[in-house]
Amino acid sequence: MTLQAPPTKESRLDPDPVPRRDFLGLAALWSTLAAGIVALLGVLRLPKAAVLPAPSRKFRVELPDGLAPGTPFEPAGRNVAVFRDPEGAVFAISKVCTHLGCIVKLDPQGFHCPCHGSLFDPQGQVLKGPAPAALPWQQVRKAPAGGWIVDEGTTVPAGTKEA
Amino acid sequence: MATLEDRPALTRFAENLRALPARLRESAFRSGAPVSDRARSTAVFGNVFLHLHSVRVHRWTLRWATTWGLGILTLSAFLIALLTGVLLMFYYKPYPAAAYDSIKDIHFVVPTGRFMRNLHRWSANLMVVGVILHMARVFYAAAYRRPREFNWLVGMALLSITLGLSFTGYLLPWDQLAYWAITIGANIAQSPREVTDALGWTAWFDPGGLQKLLLLGSDEVGEEALIRFYLLHVMILPIALVMLLAVHFWRIRKDGGLARPADADQRLAPPARRHYPVFTQQPRKTYHLAALVRGRSPQTQGPEHTVPSLPHLFYAEAGVLMLSVALCLLLALLSDAPLKELANPAVPENPAKAPWYFLGLQELVSHSAFMGGVGIPALVLLGLGLIPFLDRERAGTGEWFGGPGGSRLVVQAAIFGLSSSILLEAFTIRFGWLRQWWPEVPQLLITAINPGTLLTLLFAGYSIWAMRRHDSTRAGATALFTCFLAGFLVLTVIGYYFRGPNWDFYWSPAQWPGH
Amino acid sequence: MRRRKHLLLWSSVATLLLLGWAIYEEHFGQEWRRLQQQYQSRLPAGQNFPVQLRQIVVPSLAVTDRCVSCHLGMAAGETPLEGDPVFGAHPPVAHDPAEFGCTVCHGGQGRATSRADAHGDVEFWPLPLLPAPYRYAGCGSCHTHLAVPRLEAVQRGRALVERFDCLRCHALEGRGGTLRPFADGAAPAAPDLSAAGARGLDSGWVGKHGPGALPELAADERSGIDAFLSSRSGAPGLVEAKALFHSLGCRGCHAVSGVGGDDGPDLSQLGRRDPAQLDFSGVRGDRSLPNWLREHFLAPARVVPGSAMPEMGLGESEIEGLTFYLLSLRGASYPEAFWPRDRVRAQLLGERDFSSDGATLYGSFCAACHGPRGQGVRYPGSSTFPAVANPDFLALASDEFLTAAIGRGRPGRRMPGWGSSGGLTEAEIANLVGYLRLLGNGAAAEPDPRPTRWVEADRARGKELYIANCASCHGLMGEGGEGTALGNPVLLETATDTYLVQTISRGRRGTNMPSFAEASLTHRALTRSEIESIVAFLRLWETRP
Repeated sequence: MTLQAPPTKESRLDPDPVPRRDFLGLAALWSTLAAGIVALLGVLRLPKAAVLPAPSRKFRVELPDGLAPGTPFEPAGRNVAVFRDPEGAVFAISKVCTHLGCIVKLDPQGFHCPCHGSLFDPQGQVLKGPAPAALPWQQVRKAPAGGWIVDEGTTVPAGTKEA
Repeated sequence: MATLEDRPALTRFAENLRALPARLRESAFRSGAPVSDRARSTAVFGNVFLHLHSVRVHRWTLRWATTWGLGILTLSAFLIALLTGVLLMFYYKPYPAAAYDSIKDIHFVVPTGRFMRNLHRWSANLMVVGVILHMARVFYAAAYRRPREFNWLVGMALLSITLGLSFTGYLLPWDQLAYWAITIGANIAQSPREVTDALGWTAWFDPGGLQKLLLLGSDEVGEEALIRFYLLHVMILPIALVMLLAVHFWRIRKDGGLARPADADQRLAPPARRHYPVFTQQPRKTYHLAALVRGRSPQTQGPEHTVPSLPHLFYAEAGVLMLSVALCLLLALLSDAPLKELANPAVPENPAKAPWYFLGLQELVSHSAFMGGVGIPALVLLGLGLIPFLDRERAGTGEWFGGPGGSRLVVQAAIFGLSSSILLEAFTIRFGWLRQWWPEVPQLLITAINPGTLLTLLFAGYSIWAMRRHDSTRAGATALFTCFLAGFLVLTVIGYYFRGPNWDFYWSPAQWPGH
Repeated sequence: MRRRKHLLLWSSVATLLLLGWAIYEEHFGQEWRRLQQQYQSRLPAGQNFPVQLRQIVVPSLAVTDRCVSCHLGMAAGETPLEGDPVFGAHPPVAHDPAEFGCTVCHGGQGRATSRADAHGDVEFWPLPLLPAPYRYAGCGSCHTHLAVPRLEAVQRGRALVERFDCLRCHALEGRGGTLRPFADGAAPAAPDLSAAGARGLDSGWVGKHGPGALPELAADERSGIDAFLSSRSGAPGLVEAKALFHSLGCRGCHAVSGVGGDDGPDLSQLGRRDPAQLDFSGVRGDRSLPNWLREHFLAPARVVPGSAMPEMGLGESEIEGLTFYLLSLRGASYPEAFWPRDRVRAQLLGERDFSSDGATLYGSFCAACHGPRGQGVRYPGSSTFPAVANPDFLALASDEFLTAAIGRGRPGRRMPGWGSSGGLTEAEIANLVGYLRLLGNGAAAEPDPRPTRWVEADRARGKELYIANCASCHGLMGEGGEGTALGNPVLLETATDTYLVQTISRGRRGTNMPSFAEASLTHRALTRSEIESIVAFLRLWETRP
């Protein structure tokens, strides 16, 4: 059999003779791409958890009877300090530093953060350091069964107290 | 005219910034748009993934009937399993009770989690089916012959790793199914003791015990076993598989593409007019020098029967890939991966069944743990591995059921394999075996003479008969391979459908006691 | 080439479609999403309600309960929809669901987010939701109600409460409490009595009523009401079910928390049994544990082939009550910090979950075999259980003999040694002995001045007489049958010669044991010396291994 060179294209160096409108090929490639993108989007949904494994952020505390005003009560395992004011009203201030999330330490002057030196007054207002905002106050409600229910998940305006 | 270098630096910087997109593109894709064959070739060998393929591919390779896309199907299934597996690792916790809870969470609350797990399960099954069919295809096309012997061996290793991946993945959900299937699997690993015990060697020579200990890290399935299986499943075996896959694919290219009949060119229709020879004017590069040196010169005369891989082969591969994806998606939507109760070491599953592809083995194991679990599988693997070295004929290479005997022999062997294994199984189910007749019979005798070994001997005998009858080693191999495939099928079906509690025979699960 | 492009095109299109299906399933096909949208549409306008999964996590109880994703009225911070079966509030209970989760009490699969899975109406979930009639069986996961008397005592207390019309002012288990005695609101409404016992009964409750509010109470009426109120735990029906269990003598064969016979299976964890591990081939109806239990009470041998448990001839309400109680035997393994007081007292301090008065003890341990009135029972296919309240028997049996018989049992027979393996204390056995005397109309043992062994007579003659007169009922080797197994070593050791001689000569009226001192249609009268020779012969078995 002899070689018959095609009339329009002599070498593999030549471009394709007429850029044919290859609808079929394009449709196939685009649908593949679309399927890939949709699949990828589905895949990207997976790492964002629908529910957090953490236990409820609401919890009940019983304050000691003799808790003096201004003395913090720190429930174990929770990052919140609960106070009673001279009138007996109760409020809670988060112990999570607003800078980078370290747990602040309590001292008579207020709160200080061991990580980057932020200092807060006893109401949670920033006195010094890199913290961009005051320590948030958290919701406190009187529990029907006695004691108080603190909700770490709900922030209330500073100064909100529950009598 | 001032060149760019003469202009102020700030102007040059602005120019560079303007040219950034084009240069980025250029640095990544050097060959430009694939509008000429040369640009396509450059694109292929300039890309690490595409260059696993040769630049041009023979038209015989592209016929559907040559491969039915089985290799790509298996690869696609592996890729899906790999992707979904990595995603599942976001939530899976490899610690006994936590593992079960995390699978429940994946099923119930992880976004797309249940779907991903189903996909993982179905792609893994598809991979096992694919790898078996692919091996059968390569065998029946006699594509294992010189120079492809080594790639056949690599393929066998890939088959074993695929089964290993499935087996190790089986434990991870930590449910009853997982726990008891792996307990049985681990005791199969220990089954050489059946022989060493009978010979009284176990005290100082105990390969079975060692195997089980290495597998479980303890004397029973527990947290040690789970972490080992997890490690094997997500790290050791996948890495081994990927490395061997690279060798497998590279070898295809190095062995001259897919096997094809010697007269493939004559049997193909003349090439379309727009195809033209590779070596026309001024080839810029050739990679065929090595081939020239080895005495297999590229064809420069006659019609050119190769086409560029870039659109032709890749369309086919992408098509099979998407088909596999669609198949897995469909199965994942229709059927949930099973999850039974939390593993309970105190309450055995009855029957505790292995994954379906091991049920043939489990059926053999019910006759003799050592022969079924270790002896016969090892023999089969050895036999498969030796095929390309014992069959050195050339006739029929690259053709379905090629070689002496042809498809007629395959049909005969299939009938022989099916009927002999069905009859032997039926006999055993109906009348029992040595121990039922003579309770005092020594274990070694049962290990040596049981339905599994008898079947192996029958198949070997039939193969020798076929070899003499057709005066061809290929015929012997065909007969043996077909018989084993038929036996595998029969044993798997019996194990899957007809075995109930205590591994007793039942016509259907509806007859199981207690139901 | 075209074929390959077609393959790619159509497989990609199929993939896209299937992905679309999967997206639909993920976003719209889920039950909880539809329910939450329904809930959202019924909320008052302007109320913020994000559609998302909700859960209660209690790490120390290993609880992750997503029930509140559908039962939104019970989720923390959500508004219950009044009266709605799904979105309604949880009925008031002592335990805040946010603190304990849901599955601890109700069973079911907390991690699941679809109805069938969550309720456990699926294969492979061992602890499905407790059905509504047995809802309070869930209390048994943690609680062990202590000192529960037999049913009669509980019913008497309830009758008293009804008689004195307490429910006019007080609510009890959802009934009564409509009248407000202090209409001016000066004093609180009468307290709900449903959990009076769980809260700790105020012993001064009589004085708290206003003058003239209560009629005069006799001492036994007061104690009956006290006992009844102390048993109110907030779990309606559960204590009654347990009291029933303490009346039918189930513990004669079955142990619960280490106390009871060993003839039948231990029931301590029965409420947690995985229905998948039960044989349902002899069971009509659905494949659930409650149904299995009900069917089993109807016909034990049909459900468990070869079961030694007799058909007790129980009524419908008794079957329901026993099923209820057995379902409550769940004994979950939670950390001790979560144990309620009653469980601590039962498991760590060894307090009894049954009342230790003789009547309850008899009802709990003896009634199934010896009959509710001690009249003896013979179930089809088993040997006769002796009539322990027979006055002729009690007249001869000294307290020591009865104590030894109960405490040491009859080794080798179905009567266990209650003082050893059965787990009863000496005081409890003494109470039982006292109650037996009550059952026998107060018959005290006749004083016996003789030594325990005094018979000296011809054993060979005794043997002949035994074979002629006794063996047909008591067996040739004293192995028993219609009559007692006389060869039992403990019986022979503890029975005095007087006891044996008198029993043979007087017989036991009301049973098959005739008086041998008098002639009857089947035997002649035996002389005193003949009877003594039989006793002498019986003593031979004492030395036999």
